[in-house]
Amino acid sequence: MAEHWTEDDLILYFYGEGRRRAEIEQHLHACASCAAAYRAISGTLAMIKTPGVPERGDQYGLEVWQRIRHGLAEPQMPWWMAWMQPQRLAIVAAAAVVLLAAFVAGRVWEHQPAQTPVVARTATPDPSPAASGNPDARKRILLTAVADHLDRSERVLTDIMNASDRRGISSEQVWADDLLQTSRLYRRDAVDAGERSVASILDELERSLLEIVNSPSPISAADLDNIRRRIDAAALLFKVRVMSDELRQREDVTARPAEVLSRPGDRKTS
Amino acid sequence: MEALEVGSAEAALAKARRGDSEAFRELVERHSRSVFRLAFRMTGNEQDAEDVVQESFLRAYKQLGRFESRANFGTWLYRITANCAVDLMRSRQARHDMSRGESLDADVHQPTAEIPGPDRMAHGAEIERTVQGALTGLSPLERAAFTLRHYEGRSIDEIATTLGLGTSAAKHSVFRAVRKLRLALDPLRTVTHNG
Repeated sequence: MAEHWTEDDLILYFYGEGRRRAEIEQHLHACASCAAAYRAISGTLAMIKTPGVPERGDQYGLEVWQRIRHGLAEPQMPWWMAWMQPQRLAIVAAAAVVLLAAFVAGRVWEHQPAQTPVVARTATPDPSPAASGNPDARKRILLTAVADHLDRSERVLTDIMNASDRRGISSEQVWADDLLQTSRLYRRDAVDAGERSVASILDELERSLLEIVNSPSPISAADLDNIRRRIDAAALLFKVRVMSDELRQREDVTARPAEVLSRPGDRKTS
Repeated sequence: MEALEVGSAEAALAKARRGDSEAFRELVERHSRSVFRLAFRMTGNEQDAEDVVQESFLRAYKQLGRFESRANFGTWLYRITANCAVDLMRSRQARHDMSRGESLDADVHQPTAEIPGPDRMAHGAEIERTVQGALTGLSPLERAAFTLRHYEGRSIDEIATTLGLGTSAAKHSVFRAVRKLRLALDPLRTVTHNG
């Protein structure tokens, strides 16, 4: 056979994959150069032994549980399951009673003679959840804003981590300063809203942002390295990313019941 | 006995899905060691593996509502763990990118005179260290795909499902990983053969 098999084909063959295994096997018997290439690949891969995993005792599961138990957030249930919770069923039942009462009152009212002239509305009330003063809606808006803020912060941190040692970081410092001001406001709001884990991440983030803002410009390689080391040691990028994801997911979940309760035509309002 | 265990696991899962954290504890205790094993193989570092274990269970608890009861919890958790490990490695990558590149180059272009003799090779310590160095030089996705293929024995299709990739992307991640590892390890192999 004139044609040879590629390295990729031989890698798949080594791992017992690929569709033309029989053909490759036959070819390897006949072709010295492919056989040599395969020997090189398999020889190298055979050097990579599965690493020994450090032992974990019988109590390890319990240890893990102890570490995570206080960090467990409310599980995100499907909307229908969430509404089957006793407290929520009670809310739904109460809402149904109010609606029924309003309907009955409306029917009775219709039969009353009009005693006062109808006054045309001159202003339309603001239907936005924020303006209505609904605390859930306000919290949702806060969490969305914090998630956006974390995304922006992640970008500035990533820029710092990737910045060349010989380049100034003045543009990142301006950006970080801006984020720092916003972060403080969000942190206070998060504390007021009882979102302690969000407030804690924002607090950690602020410390790094402050460090970036207060660094001399141009920054020395050693100072830049120190900032990076601290960001890295606190796994800050990881935490920021995870918290941002979490907030986005919570955003989805909290938006769902509102969609379910609203009429199909109103869905875009959320 | 096994059926009983499966039954109790299912019951714990059903309760956990309804928000029962005690039931979730049972699942944590049952799966912690396997989660740690995967996390350690993927990150190659005990401390990072512990972080991944913790984050995986926290993420799993939050996402229990999305878990389909017909699916296997262990498989679902495996996927979460693999992705948590990739996320963690990505977060670490930015910091180490430059030094990694340098160390990989150093490994690849290691002068022959500095390569330890066959007696040391026989003990495999040098090889193991070079393997670790080379693995550190892989991108998080390449390392994840390679770990799942080489250490965990997962097929390309399974790797694609686990990491949420297309089959072709999963395959090419493995290929790239193997190519990089060969660059770093082939010189050692030659020395071993010649020695």
